[in-house]
This record gives sequence, C-alpha cells and structure tokens, in this order.
Amino acid sequence: MFDFDDFYSYITSVGAWKLIRIFWFYLLFEFFRYIFIEAVTIILWKIKKRINRRRLAHARRSFLKENPKVSIIVPGKNEGKHIYKLAVSLKEQTYKNYEIIIIDDGSDDLTPEICKNLQKNGFINLFLRNDVRGGKASAANLALRFATGKYIVHLDADCSYDRDAIEKIITPFYYDKEIGAIGGNVMVRNYDESLITTLQAIEYLDAISIGRIVSSELGIYRVISGAFGAFRRDVMDRLGGWDIGPGLDGDITVKIRKLGYKIHFEPSAICLTNAPDTPRKLIKQRLRWDKSLVRFRLRKHRDIFYPTRSFNWPNFISFTENITYNLILNVTWFVYIVDMILNYPSELEYIVIMNFILYTVSNYFKFLFFSPFRERQQAPVHYFLVYLPLMVFYFGYFLRIVRTVAYFQEFVFKASYNDPWNPQKSSRHAKALKL
Amino acid sequence: MEGTADKVALEDDFLLRAGNFNLYVCLHGKPLELEKAIIYDAIVIEAGDQPHTLNLVRKVRSHLNPECYLKPIFLYKGSDNRDALIHNLTDGVIFSLDQTSFLIPVIEKIYLRIADLTYTTSISFEAQMIDKCLNLLYTRQKMDFPAIMYVGSSIGYSFPELSVNFHLRDEWQVLDILNIMEAEGIVQGDYTDRIYQCNQCSSGYLIYREVCPTCNSTNCSSEDLVHHYPCAFIGPISDFKNELDSTLHCPKCNKNLKHIGVDYDKPSIIYTCKNCSGKFQDINVKAKCVLCLNDNEIEKLVTKEIKNYRLTKKGETAATTGYVSTAKDIEEFIGTIKIDTFRTMVKYEVERLKQNDYNSNLACIYLKNAGGLYSMIGANSQRALLKDLVDVVRRNLRSSDLISFMNANSLLIQMNEIPVKIAEHVLAEICDIMKRLISKNFKNYETDIRYKVVPITTRLSHELQIQQLTNEFQA
Repeated sequence: MFDFDDFYSYITSVGAWKLIRIFWFYLLFEFFRYIFIEAVTIILWKIKKRINRRRLAHARRSFLKENPKVSIIVPGKNEGKHIYKLAVSLKEQTYKNYEIIIIDDGSDDLTPEICKNLQKNGFINLFLRNDVRGGKASAANLALRFATGKYIVHLDADCSYDRDAIEKIITPFYYDKEIGAIGGNVMVRNYDESLITTLQAIEYLDAISIGRIVSSELGIYRVISGAFGAFRRDVMDRLGGWDIGPGLDGDITVKIRKLGYKIHFEPSAICLTNAPDTPRKLIKQRLRWDKSLVRFRLRKHRDIFYPTRSFNWPNFISFTENITYNLILNVTWFVYIVDMILNYPSELEYIVIMNFILYTVSNYFKFLFFSPFRERQQAPVHYFLVYLPLMVFYFGYFLRIVRTVAYFQEFVFKASYNDPWNPQKSSRHAKALKL
Repeated sequence: MEGTADKVALEDDFLLRAGNFNLYVCLHGKPLELEKAIIYDAIVIEAGDQPHTLNLVRKVRSHLNPECYLKPIFLYKGSDNRDALIHNLTDGVIFSLDQTSFLIPVIEKIYLRIADLTYTTSISFEAQMIDKCLNLLYTRQKMDFPAIMYVGSSIGYSFPELSVNFHLRDEWQVLDILNIMEAEGIVQGDYTDRIYQCNQCSSGYLIYREVCPTCNSTNCSSEDLVHHYPCAFIGPISDFKNELDSTLHCPKCNKNLKHIGVDYDKPSIIYTCKNCSGKFQDINVKAKCVLCLNDNEIEKLVTKEIKNYRLTKKGETAATTGYVSTAKDIEEFIGTIKIDTFRTMVKYEVERLKQNDYNSNLACIYLKNAGGLYSMIGANSQRALLKDLVDVVRRNLRSSDLISFMNANSLLIQMNEIPVKIAEHVLAEICDIMKRLISKNFKNYETDIRYKVVPITTRLSHELQIQQLTNEFQA
C-alpha cells in the first residue's frame, strides 16, 4: 500500500546529487533537448520573425504579384469519399491560381466514378487512374509528371485546409530562394473522437507545431508531412519525384536537403487531418513511420555520415540528432530502466511516481509555455489540460515500445519491404537495390 | 386482246391496255403526273436510275388518297433494281411492254382486295397512317411486316408501307406509329434489334466519334503509361523512348526497362488532345447526328426497339372495317360531334328545310398541307393544335352550329338559319384567325387553309351534299 508520508519523507531526504543520479535520463537528454533547447529556440524564432516581418510581407507581395500556378496533387487509393470535401475546401482558398490533380492508385471502390464526376463539374482539373496499383510514390510521380505548376503541393485526401493555407505555404519560397520545400502545420481534426485521438492531438501540438518550428529554425527539419507539403517544381524534376515508400515523405525531404536546399516549416499553413482513432490503427501507422528511420536514415542515406564531397554539416546534425533521440535514446531508456531496477530496487515505487510527477510537470510547463507560440489551437487549452498526465504513459511508454518494436523488425527482418502499404512488385526491387 | 399491248400516245407518257385494265406508263426521265395516273388502273414505271424510280414510287404510295396510294405499280426493265423499298412497294416487274398480260391476274387480285376495304376518315395523323399501312398490306396480302435494314432510312430500318409516308427527318415517327399499332393489337411484334437515335431530331444517322472531354475535338492521341518499379517513376511511354534505338530507358534512374511485369508495367493509358493540350484517360464517345448536327452524349441517345411485325386477325379486320380508334380520337375534341351524328343532323336539317323557308348552310374548312405539319410536330402537339383550332371555330360560331371532323384535315360545319353570305364572312374570319394561330406557333410552316360554304338544299340527299362539298378538297 502506497504511503504518502513515506513518499514525502523520501523526496525531502533524497538530496540533489541522488536526484540527478535517479533522473539522469530526463535531465541529461530530455530536459536539455525538449525544454531548454526548444524554449530558447522558439523565443529566438519569435524575435527573428518580428525583426523580419517586413521581409516576410515583401515575400508575400512578390508571390501574389507573380501569381505562379500551383499544382495541388493528391495521390491515394480508395479516397473517393474524401475528395469532394477536399475539393470544396480548396475552392475556398484565398489563392486561386492552382490546379488540382487527383491520382487514383488502383482503387476498388467508387473513387473513379466520384472523381470523374467532380472533374466533369469542374471541382478538379485532372483525374488520372492507374488500373493496377503502383504504390503512393508512383501515384505522386504520375501527378508530378502532368503537373504544370511552378510549385507542387502534396496533400492527403482526408485532410482539410485553412482558407489561406496554400498562400501561406508558398510564400516562404519568396522569402528565401534557397528553400527547396516547405512543410505545413498538420493538426488533429478529430481530437475529441477518442482518448487516443486526444493524446495524438497533444502530441501533434507539441511535436509538430512546436517541434518542427524548432527543427526548422535549427536547420535540421527532416520530414515534410505527406498531408501538407510544398515543393519547388524544378527541384522535384531534378530528383525525379518520390522514391518507393513507406517513409517516402522523409526520404524526399532528405533528398532535397542533399541537393543543398533548405527545408522550411511554415506553422501558419494549417492542415487538419484525422488521426487514427483506435490503438490498433495507431500502432500500425507508427510502426510504418518508425521503420523508415532505420531504412532511410541508416541504410539508404547513410552517406550523409561519410566525409565525401557532398558532406554537409546541417544534414549530418539533422541525421545525428534524429538517430540519437529516436534510436539511441530509445535503447538508452531501457538501460535506464535496468539501471533503476538493479541499483534502486527498494525505491522503485517512489522512482516511478517521481518520474510520473516530473514528466507531468514538464508536460504542463511545456504545454502552457509554448501555447502563445502556437499558431492555433483546435480547442481551448483547458480541454487538453486534463489529459496531459496521460501523455507520460502515451509518449513515455506506449510510443516508445512501439518504436522499439519497429526498429527491431526493420533491423532484423527489413520488415518495411514487406509492408502491404506498398505493392510487393515495387518493394522487391527497392529491397534488392537497397533503396 | 390479251398478250398484246395497244399503245396510245399520251404526250410524254404511254397508255397501255392489259385486258380490261388501262395502264399508265411513265417512261424514264419523264415526270409522273398523278392527276392523270389516278384515273388508270395501274402504273408502269420504266426503271431508270434508282433514286428517280424510288421518287416516283414514293410519290404514288405516299399520297393520302386511297385511289392513288393503292394503285398497282409495276416496274418496266426493273429486274436489276435491288432497292428494298422499291421492291416492297411495287407489285411486279416486266421486261417488255408486250408482257402486260402477265400483270392482269395481279391487278385483278389487288382490286378484289381493294373492294373489301372500308375507308374511314381518321382524325389523327397516326390513325391515317395506320389506315394507309393496313390497306396496303391487306391489298397486297402481306401478313408479315418485317423491318428491313435500309441505307436510305434515317433510322436504319424501313417498314416500306409505312415509312414511305415520311421524309427522312420525320421517319422516326414510324416507330411510334408501330407502337400504337402493337398496343391496339393490330400487329404483333418480335424483337429483332435495338437502335439509337439523336435526342434532338430522332434520326439514327449518327457518326460515333471519340472526342476530347474538354473541347470535343477528335484530334486526340493516346499513349501507354509506363511505371518503372525500382524508382517509382511513371510517365507516358514516349518519356522512356529514345531516337537511337528501340530500348526503353527510365528518365529518372536511367535504367533499361527489361521485362514487363517484372521491372515495369503499363498501368493505364493517357490521351492528349492536340487541340486544347488537355490530358485525360477516359475519352468521350459522342454520336454526331448527320441530319441535325447535334453532338449527342452517348448516354442521352434515345433507344428504340426494332421489331418484325405480323398482321393479326384484328389487323386484317381493321383494314376491312376501318381503323377503330379514330372514333376515340374524335370524342376527345370538346365542341365537336361525331361524323355519323353530323350526317344525321344534316339529314334532319334537309327535312326541316322542306317544311320551312329559311337558309341553312354546310361548310368545310380544309387544312391543305396539314399532313406535313402533323408529321413535323408529332402526335401530342397535333392533338393540342387541333383542340386550339376547334376552340377558334367554336368561339366564332353560334352555340347552335354543329362542328365535326371529317378527317384530320377537314372540319365540317352546319350553320342553320343564316344567309350564305354571312356564313361565308364568318368562315373567312375563322380561317384568318386559324392561319394567324398556326403561323404564330409554327414560323417555318406555310399555312394553306381553305373553306367552302354551300347552302343546304332539299333537292339532294344529305350524303350527296356532304360528298360534293368535300370532294373538291379530297382530290
């Protein structure tokens, strides 16, 4: 039975040195990276934004004056039911010079009929269908092949977009000519559908809305979400488009970085998506995402670490940070657990509770501190506050275990090549060519 | 004298005798004068060029007067004439004018059958056409009335005895009339084919074309889309071709494409419109109407069934007793009475006049080219038009005056106790209003409405008086 007085006397008597010994993992890695670095960076970002507001306004004017054609491409399979809503949401855009290209990658539902009808009624500009499924990369490449715009915006069919989202995501191209691609700010639309979607909404607010501002600012932003990303057409032509997935979003971002272009995150370009609403779907999604770290960072693009002529420090740091915080620290966390079990078996109960309190306090601090920096909330801050204590279990245990399983599967079995998300005919070649 | 033809020069034509029958011979290149031909027992047409011969046959068979359209027609030197319509609408072929004796039994048989017929004056255009068709079939002892695939028909199929009455643009009405005939139990149909008609003019003369869905241009080309598995590049096959050899190179990874299904496939095709540069995968198929030039969406074409018909017993009876549904047609027009009732009323008026000293009149209003108008506007509009015309007449007459349809073209009116001059004046006014009504609604139609008023006399029977009045218009 837990005794609160014992616990209180334990924490008052434990001492600073022992606290550091017990919470070394948190203090050494997580506090430093996710609170200190992020807080400092985001304050600097805000200041910089304020200083550069005229330059930003000029960039916007230049963009609107040039009025370039934007090709919005939406590859997908069995997405017909979402396309109408998407087309309507795009019709509301403040920026009007765009074309919508929908690619149906071998759907076996009513997608072709729906899309043909939408095209006939002028909601979409071009609908192309591959009768045989080729995978998301090939579908996106087909759209790219027939896109006529100067910029390519890649969207997911089940998302919707703020009225000024297209304008906002393209403007940074006119702010910095070295930007090759821009990621949009993806938020969870169905945050109140289930507990699992609420926790994902908090995760997105933190890891995407804030995390990507920071990584973009530090020059280590590495994944432009497939749900909302903008690309320079000339850059995409140089690359030949997307390579075989899963994980093609991160892969294309790295490929653009390798060409020497900057990758930018635009928090004001907002996209709402539906997050997986059951743990099963979430696990499936995260296993796919996490496997790509091993496949793309450690295999396909391992040359980032080699001192070749194309060596580039930001890319090196980006990869190192990614691998350190996602792969190495994931393993280190288990070392920490073992360390605690072996060295403090009698205090384990208090350590777990203190860990929970520490992470929860951190989460509350982060959530409230970063709130003013967020572009927008889907719900009032207080809606999420009650759920924040659960983030310790969600982020600290659940996702960490899923991530570990994904890394194991990919390291040992190269499981991503067998993922039904991509057709086997392509994955077989990707595996053989170590792509 | 049988076997020998007596020739009598008749300006451009010949008169031949075959037994007791006088044959009107129309030589090639000469016009067929119907008003002359109608008094002969049969017509012999020298078969020259096919269109001309067909035109002459049409002229006879499409006439509304049974004395004309039932006239036996023979072809002279027409053995090599393969036109299905001519073949079905003529009664035989002779190779020499000396062979007319062979025609005698044929002519006799036709006239024997003609004698069985009862001519009713049908109110509706459809009923008139059905009457005509039944009369022709009955007199030629044709029980089968098959659909003949015919290049000269705007619906692709011809039913000669019926189709002959229609111009190319109106031929679609044949199928509607056949449906009425089938619904009335006059003929029984067996499905044979399905045709597609223009949704604007109902013509079956359609040219099916693959067109760009954006600009409707036919100037489109298609290409296979090629998906290279290893690098996920996908594009038209021209992206993979080079000018040096026939190998396919991936433009993204520069690898050779080796084996379809192994390292690449062709998941679909793409069309490019050379007119508007549009890209699309589903080319539109449209059907352009040759007659009205309307570009029809395939799914909006009108579908009709083509059937081979067979005359039923009811059909045969209808030919000999007259087409029954005409009575129904007349009843529909409020303000008119049946022709039989009208005849009776004229009879009473003749008797009344014998007792009294006043003037009563019989009048006829005749719509000369009504057939053309009816065929142009279709059955429903025809009925509406006739109702409007009856309204005009009714409003301008006294309520005691009687109106009846003689047929779809002729209205009979009995105007009692009124001087003939006033009756003429009233009729002139009515005809003027009718003309204005028609020309206002059918701008391209030349209206020709005539009328005649005669005083009812006690010296002649009512039947004779009606006949004399209408004869002028029926010729």
